[in-house]
Amino acid sequence: MAGNSILKHREAVLAALVVVLALGTSLINPNFLTLENITDLLKANTVSGIFSLGVLMVIVSGGFDVSFTAIAQVTQYAIVLLMLERTEGNIYLAILAAVFFGIVLGLINGAIIHYYNMPAIIVTIATQSLYYGIMYVVTRGRQINDIPSFFWSFSNAKVVEFTSPAGGTYGLSLITALWFILAVILYVFLRHSKLGRSIYAVGGSRISAERIGFNLAHTTLFVYAAMGALAGLAGVVHVSIVQSVIPSSIVGSELQVIAAVVLGGASVTGGKGTVLGAFLGVLLLAILSNSLTLLRISSYYSNVFTGLIILISVTANAIQVQRQRRQRVRVQIDKA
Amino acid sequence: MNFINAKNISKDFGGVHALKGVYFTVRQGEIMGLVGQNGCGKSTLIKTLAGVWRPDGGTLEIAGQKVENPSPFIAIKLGVSVIYQDLSLFPNLSVLENICLGPIIGDNSLLSRISLYRGKAMEILARLGIDINPDDLVEDLPIAKQQLVAIARALANDSRLLILDEPTTALTRREIIQLFSLLSNLKKGGISFVFISHKLGEILEICDRVTVMRDGSIIGTEEAASLNISQIEGMMLGHALALQKKTAFRSGKEVVLSVEHLSKKNHFLDVSFALHAGEVLGLSGLLGSGRTELASAIFGISPADSGKILIRGKEVRIASVGNAIHYGIAYVPEDRLTQGLVMPHSISNNIVIATLEQYLGRLALLSFQKIGLTVKNWISKLDIKTDDARKAASTLSGGNQQKIVIAKWLAMNPAVLIMDGPTVGIDVGAKRAIYDTIQTNAAQGMAVIVISDDIPELLANCDRILIMHGGRLTVEMPTSEADEESLQRSMEIRSGA
Amino acid sequence: MNKLYALLARHNASLYLTMLAVFALMAYINGDKFLSAYNIGSMAYQLPIIGLLSVGMMISMLTGGINLSIIANANLNGIIIWQVLEFLTGPGRMKEAGTTAIVIAILAGFMVSGLVGLINGFLIAVFEIPDILVTLGTMTLIGGLNIVITRGYTITGFPASLNWIGNGQIYSIPVPILLFLLAVIITSVILYRTRFGFSLYMMGANATAARYSGVNLTRVIVAQYILSACFASLTSLVMIGQLNSIKSNYAESYLLVAVLASFLGGVDPLGGFGRIGGVLAATVILQIISSGLNLMRMDPFMITAMWGAIIIIIIFAKALTGVIKRHWQPTSQSGK
Repeated sequence: MAGNSILKHREAVLAALVVVLALGTSLINPNFLTLENITDLLKANTVSGIFSLGVLMVIVSGGFDVSFTAIAQVTQYAIVLLMLERTEGNIYLAILAAVFFGIVLGLINGAIIHYYNMPAIIVTIATQSLYYGIMYVVTRGRQINDIPSFFWSFSNAKVVEFTSPAGGTYGLSLITALWFILAVILYVFLRHSKLGRSIYAVGGSRISAERIGFNLAHTTLFVYAAMGALAGLAGVVHVSIVQSVIPSSIVGSELQVIAAVVLGGASVTGGKGTVLGAFLGVLLLAILSNSLTLLRISSYYSNVFTGLIILISVTANAIQVQRQRRQRVRVQIDKA
Repeated sequence: MNFINAKNISKDFGGVHALKGVYFTVRQGEIMGLVGQNGCGKSTLIKTLAGVWRPDGGTLEIAGQKVENPSPFIAIKLGVSVIYQDLSLFPNLSVLENICLGPIIGDNSLLSRISLYRGKAMEILARLGIDINPDDLVEDLPIAKQQLVAIARALANDSRLLILDEPTTALTRREIIQLFSLLSNLKKGGISFVFISHKLGEILEICDRVTVMRDGSIIGTEEAASLNISQIEGMMLGHALALQKKTAFRSGKEVVLSVEHLSKKNHFLDVSFALHAGEVLGLSGLLGSGRTELASAIFGISPADSGKILIRGKEVRIASVGNAIHYGIAYVPEDRLTQGLVMPHSISNNIVIATLEQYLGRLALLSFQKIGLTVKNWISKLDIKTDDARKAASTLSGGNQQKIVIAKWLAMNPAVLIMDGPTVGIDVGAKRAIYDTIQTNAAQGMAVIVISDDIPELLANCDRILIMHGGRLTVEMPTSEADEESLQRSMEIRSGA
Repeated sequence: MNKLYALLARHNASLYLTMLAVFALMAYINGDKFLSAYNIGSMAYQLPIIGLLSVGMMISMLTGGINLSIIANANLNGIIIWQVLEFLTGPGRMKEAGTTAIVIAILAGFMVSGLVGLINGFLIAVFEIPDILVTLGTMTLIGGLNIVITRGYTITGFPASLNWIGNGQIYSIPVPILLFLLAVIITSVILYRTRFGFSLYMMGANATAARYSGVNLTRVIVAQYILSACFASLTSLVMIGQLNSIKSNYAESYLLVAVLASFLGGVDPLGGFGRIGGVLAATVILQIISSGLNLMRMDPFMITAMWGAIIIIIIFAKALTGVIKRHWQPTSQSGK
């Protein structure tokens, strides 16, 4: 909202960082700032990007979720199996089924967290293992390489297409566009819908929200269900990019996504965070790891940098909050 | 016509009768005062009216409609708004949005069409005479302004009954007068109020009728014009606690604590005073006068920026609570629930927490035997009513809880004992006991500072009284020269004015 | 009724009953295999790893925090030991390291792990950053460093006298069990009989009130994370011996188990309550389940799923006992 100067400030800093990092990298490797690299980069981060939208909602509502990668993984496996069963499957059906499945798993999280009043981190650590473990047991960890071709078409489709001098094509992928569209929808939703505002309100003060007549159960269930839906969708996007179902390929990236959202200014105590911030957070981490590759720095370092960035950004944020709190006027001092 | 008509309402919490067959009415366009000691059932009654609790028995009619399925949402729809003491605002949202959220969730759109309500909100803010940028975040406003936002929000909800829970604690006298004239105006427009306050003077000033509660029952509902303060007190307490002004004054020669030109930005400015051994010093002022902030600085919670603190003439640096304790300063804080006690932990743990080094035995390990002795000693000395010190502090009554806090500090035998609101929300018996404790310890040479709103309490206990206003010390006078009226007046004026 | 309530209320009693039940169940299912000296012995070797991590986690959870970096820190500790040994003996010759070198290496490990704890505690206490974010950051950072230093390889060839800590015996009792018991005894003395331990519990239940009573929150938080980090070091010593190797990401799945053991052992995830005896019993229960399922040739992922399921079951069970409690034990405070 208009008064949110800290977040605005933060977004500006993040955007500046993104620009500086991008320019710096392109000085050393001119390939970086080519349209081809940028669109590839965006495509490669679409899965994280879609995750980040759900994570943002959960964190703004004052919740937490580490199970979304497991939801994506399980959903992905289930949907591909389902599509292999059917002969006349298509991508719409796959997405629809994935979203539905994701919602169910997300609702389970939300219901346990809300009705049993348990810390979200404990609940989602548990459901992560539960979902993932059951999938592994049922599938025996078998990899699926024989993916229906419509998945490939889905990830390969471009909204805008160019031909490179070498003859290949590149451009803005449909899935990336999907991520952007979802981001815009979420932006409008969080800003202008009643439910969206209630997510901020509940994150800001649960007690106040309850007293003013918000239904906390609705908000909590919605947020985790939406996280599940986005995770399901991300699972489909992921398989369409990777072209195979590897049961261990998504789980493990959840903290990276949470880091990006937190980097974008979302407060884990709830009530604060923006879509733009989360977007910039994902972008910053993406560019960072991409520039490490382009600068021929071993990919081993990527976690080191990610960890450092998380620590620096949360510390900077905390210092700012502390300073602000200290400057808050407690007593209007009389003039002598 | 009665806007609220509650008949024979009862509410139990696991066998505790919080409300026992309560009859309560509020007429349209009247201000009903609701008074009673903490724990008398006031808050349960409010929450029942607000739809938070469902009554176990009885019927509730709001605006002529019988409420079958109470919920906060339905109560708001029927026009009941509560302004809780904690204000229940959303610190992370703007002033405008806080004001408009009620109407927004009440309308039948899926969208949050804040622009529709902006005009109305601005009009309400103007009517309340509040000078706030509606786009500021609520968390950036001082408490007094946040309170006005909460009132504006209730008005924006088209409420026809506003329940105000201790609305004046954070306001200056000028703001209180403004609020009262506003309430009177709204009342003429047919809006009803339930006004809850422990300031009985204000109750009589603004209310048309007064309802007094005790132990979950209504003791009586009377026209305000037919009541005086001591009558209300009598109804509240059952038997009144008569406070006599202190006559035997006592003050040692030795200055135990002195404060020179102490300042902290946005908290207080240039405060100097001296405290003698055996003296009980009263400190008062309105909320936001800086009195609690001054105590927090002396106790190291939020240290001062400049100026000196001297203990027995020696300058000391107090940068943390640990420092303060080291110099023999103890502090009974304002808020027992969050600052005073670790509620879910045992009575025993709460008594010994500040003096652990006294209970070290072999190998510098805590000796449960020593702890047990100390705990037993203080439980009997302060007459803390419990059968088992291992029980959680939260299981005791307010008065006994406060005695634990006091025991915690007396166990360290402090040179200076600062008590902020030592008797807020506790029963008469415990009050008496705490007053006795203060005097006994002062007689043995302890220097005591009592911070209180309750002027009769200060007059009865203190040898000297200080008043703060706007972060400055404005009045210092011996109790012998002070009286209730002049102190009350001096709290509301700034120095030199 | 009241007797039944008292029994239910004594969490540890129900834990010991559960332990017996689980033991009997596993012995019944697996027969002699489970009761064999070999199985009991291998349980005794494995238990300390889960146990040490769980106690380390419990210490952080007592303040209402969580130490996500504990396993990364344990692996770092092993890597430091390896590096120091190689430094002292020369590349590839650490098997020949003498007692002095080993002691130096172990101490270096403790210091580096302790430093990580110090950083965690410092950031959490001084800047008031939520535990979950700080330890997420250090976990990512250290995990990254571990990969960078080891290049992702498994490092083997530790000196036998170092391995003895993890796989040796004294009077036919496994050394790791002795080490674990010693650590538990020392920790219980620290938690129950020192000012630090007392303050830890009080702070966990109400940090503000503890501060107003003279508890130095910064010191307690920092000490708490250093103590928690010491358990990472001890875990590492046991792991080196049992696996005769180190790797950047050993035992990562135990993070869940450590949280689970604390939770099952009765540690309040909001802080302030929990006994080490409970956590000890919980780790034994989990070890019995894990070993029993292994003997049944259960899929390891099934076991992971099981951990998740157990947390969910505990949540349901707690809600149930909460209902019972409310029914039979009216408290005088609920009227407020």
